[in-house]
Amino acid sequence: MSAEKEFTTQESLQLISQMISKAKDDYIETGVSALMWGAIITFCSLVALFKYLFFPKWEWVNAVWWLTFLGVIPQIVIARRERKQRKYRGHDDQLRGGVWISFGAAMILMNYFLLRYNFPQPIAVYLVLYGIPTFAIGFGRRFRPMIIGGIACWVFAILSSITPDPWTLLYLAGGAQLAWFIPGLILRKRYLKVKTKNV
Amino acid sequence: MFKDLNPILHSQLRLAVISVLISVKEAEFTFLREKTNATAGNLSVQINKLKEAGYIDVSKQFKDNYPQTICKITPQGVVAFEQYVKDLQSYLDIKK
Repeated sequence: MSAEKEFTTQESLQLISQMISKAKDDYIETGVSALMWGAIITFCSLVALFKYLFFPKWEWVNAVWWLTFLGVIPQIVIARRERKQRKYRGHDDQLRGGVWISFGAAMILMNYFLLRYNFPQPIAVYLVLYGIPTFAIGFGRRFRPMIIGGIACWVFAILSSITPDPWTLLYLAGGAQLAWFIPGLILRKRYLKVKTKNV
Repeated sequence: MFKDLNPILHSQLRLAVISVLISVKEAEFTFLREKTNATAGNLSVQINKLKEAGYIDVSKQFKDNYPQTICKITPQGVVAFEQYVKDLQSYLDIKK
């Protein structure tokens, strides 16, 4: 690209939209975090459901939920690596970071209160919480799969309040799939497509 | 014909740089080079012109022991870019 080449108004507008679209190509998430959390929550929910249905006395199986805490370690590694590889910072990076950090803090606090006060419908509370960052990020980014995922979490939260245990765990798995795993797959596909295009 | 268009922005490479910078909060020099397909020397000269005009901020830092140049559009640059796009649109309206 040369600096002083003569160009028309049409070419100017074309160049502006072309460059904005090129910059946006890089403004796509890898989808790895969403896929990981979608998979972890789905796995834990289904294992817990399996335990309640077939081996209700195997209390040790409940330890599977520790995976949700262990998942924070690869999440930090992924976030650090992605930040290191990126050659730009987006306008909403900080805001998105803040949303996810407050979600993490809310989850820890909610776990503490739910255990302390033995809340009768914990899954409904988790689903309400899952929906907040998912909907907020999807709405902010105009990314429909996350908007739908966020709303689905809230609908599942209502349904879980009228569904007997342990079937409510299916809503948790469904919420994780719709809020994170499926949007993660879509993001991953887009990311790989753009990466291949740019090679 | 283009006498009213901002001469700093009405240049292919400088306009490309500003268009990329308006889309992000800040970008590394290498990112701008990738997106504009310009040579390092040419891009460096044009970035300096934009900096002198007050349209972008350029800062240098180290990342993993390597020097890194970060460019960021200034509020003045945003105003100039918006005015440039308005001027372009008015030209196109006159043509119609």
